[in-house]
Formats: sequence, structure tokens, C-alpha cells
Amino acid sequence: MKRHEDTENVNLGFQIAPMIDVVFVIMLFFMVMAGAVKVEHELKIALPGSATTKGEDVVLPDEITIAIAEDGAVSMNEEEFDTPADKKLPRLTGDLIKLRKDADARGSKVLVTLQTEEQTKYDRIIDVLNAMARAQIANITFTVGSEEP
Amino acid sequence: MGGGGGGAENGEPEFQIAPMIDVLLVLLIFFMSITSAEVLRIDPDIKLPVAPDAKKKEKQIGSEGALNLKWKPGGNKAQFNFQGKDYENFEDIVPVIVSIKQGNDKYRVIIRGDKDLPAKEVQKAMGMLGQAGLENIAFSALNQ
Repeated sequence: MKRHEDTENVNLGFQIAPMIDVVFVIMLFFMVMAGAVKVEHELKIALPGSATTKGEDVVLPDEITIAIAEDGAVSMNEEEFDTPADKKLPRLTGDLIKLRKDADARGSKVLVTLQTEEQTKYDRIIDVLNAMARAQIANITFTVGSEEP
Repeated sequence: MGGGGGGAENGEPEFQIAPMIDVLLVLLIFFMSITSAEVLRIDPDIKLPVAPDAKKKEKQIGSEGALNLKWKPGGNKAQFNFQGKDYENFEDIVPVIVSIKQGNDKYRVIIRGDKDLPAKEVQKAMGMLGQAGLENIAFSALNQ
């Protein structure tokens, strides 16, 4: 009978304290990982194609040309903006936002032609496209090389 | 002492373990879901550029293809990989995309290029996609 009582007193039940320890550690891991998670973003661009109009009045867009040189220098309508090392392009972004707001007020759209040199880095092109995404400009076309023969 | 604040006989509120476990598990599930929701399936050889202001990628399973453009430093030609298959001649991708597009009119391609890739290689890819009849494409970038 005494032997039976001893086995009943041994605690083989579920231990809550170690479970909380483990849950805390796992949660801390996921909290830290959540801050460093890399998510894929996308920058849309339209290739020249056949646009269709439905007999409506066509409002001509405000056309802007942004050139990116091989060294990363960015110029809009032949005026240079920011430095080649500046990834955020604050001046260019500010001007693009103003242009977009002005076009919106007139019921027009901003059409940007991105012109790059052959050896311009893709990274720099994405910097400029990112500036346009910040300015909420979606109509972008892309050309490589000079237009002059 | 009435109410549900602890229930100890001497009036001292007790630490309740059960609600704490509930909260912990909810937090754990929350952090697990946001960490694993976006597992990047990108070629590790490609270093994507960063564009924090770009839109988060829309999920378009089945109607989207990925064109990977790898670039080796000192190289003179990008390596084209479409949907996991390498192509020596990038123009060979055109009939593949044309056949996919015939069955799915809303098909689009996302370009995942290495950040050191020269613009002329991007132009080649865009020209090829234009040849295949695609109008809407997207460039891939990371949030940070």
C-alpha cells in the first residue's frame, strides 16, 4: 500500500515552466527574424505596345526625360539632380512629386522616359524607379543608349 | 474579494498562468506567420537591388513568370534563366513565352536582375519580352 502511494506522488504531469521558457525563446527568435525579413517588391513598367482609345478626348501627357549616366549621375530635362552616390535622390523625388501634383490638378498625366547609357548599373535604374514610385508616377518608358545616331 | 482579479483568499491578486500562455501563443503564431509569409524564392547568385518605396509584389500564381538575369563581375554577357531553366541564347525564350501567353492573356513577367547588371542587358530582356508580345512587365527589388 505504501509503495502504491509513493508512485502516486511522483509528478509525471505536464510542466508549465519549461514550456513557457521554450515558447519565450521561440517567440524572441521570430520577433528578431520579423524585423530582418526581406520581401520582394516590384516596380511596374509598360513596354511600348498598341494602345487603344475609345473615342474619348485624349489628354496629352506631360513628357519628361530622365537620363542616367554611366557614373550614376541623374539629370531631368538636362538639369543634373543630386549626386551619383545619393541613392535616395531627394531633389529629384521632390521635383517629381511637384510635377505629378501639377499634372493631377490639370487632369493630365506625367509620362517619364528613362534614358540610360549602355553601361549604367541596374541598381541605379532601380534607384530612379524607386524615386518615381515615391512620387506615384506609373507611366514610364525605358530606353537604352542615346537617341542621336 | 469578488471579481475575477485573482481570487486569492488574502486579497492579493495572483499571477494567472493560463491567460499568459494564451497571449504568448497568440504572439508566437503572429510572429511565425509574418516571418514565414514571404519566403524569397530567388536565385542566390542574384543580388537584387533595394527599392523600399516600391509596391509589395502581388501574388499571381500561374499568371506570372520570373526572368532571372545573372551577371558575373568581369563578364560580358548576362545569363538568362526563365522559370528555372538556363538559356544560352535569350531569343529562345520568345516562343516559350508566346505559347504561355496564348493560354493566358494576363500573363506577365517579372525581371529579377543582379544590381551590377548593365542597362544594355536589361534592354535585351525588355526587347525580347516585347517580341513575345508582353506589354506589362515589372522589375523585382527588395524592401531592405
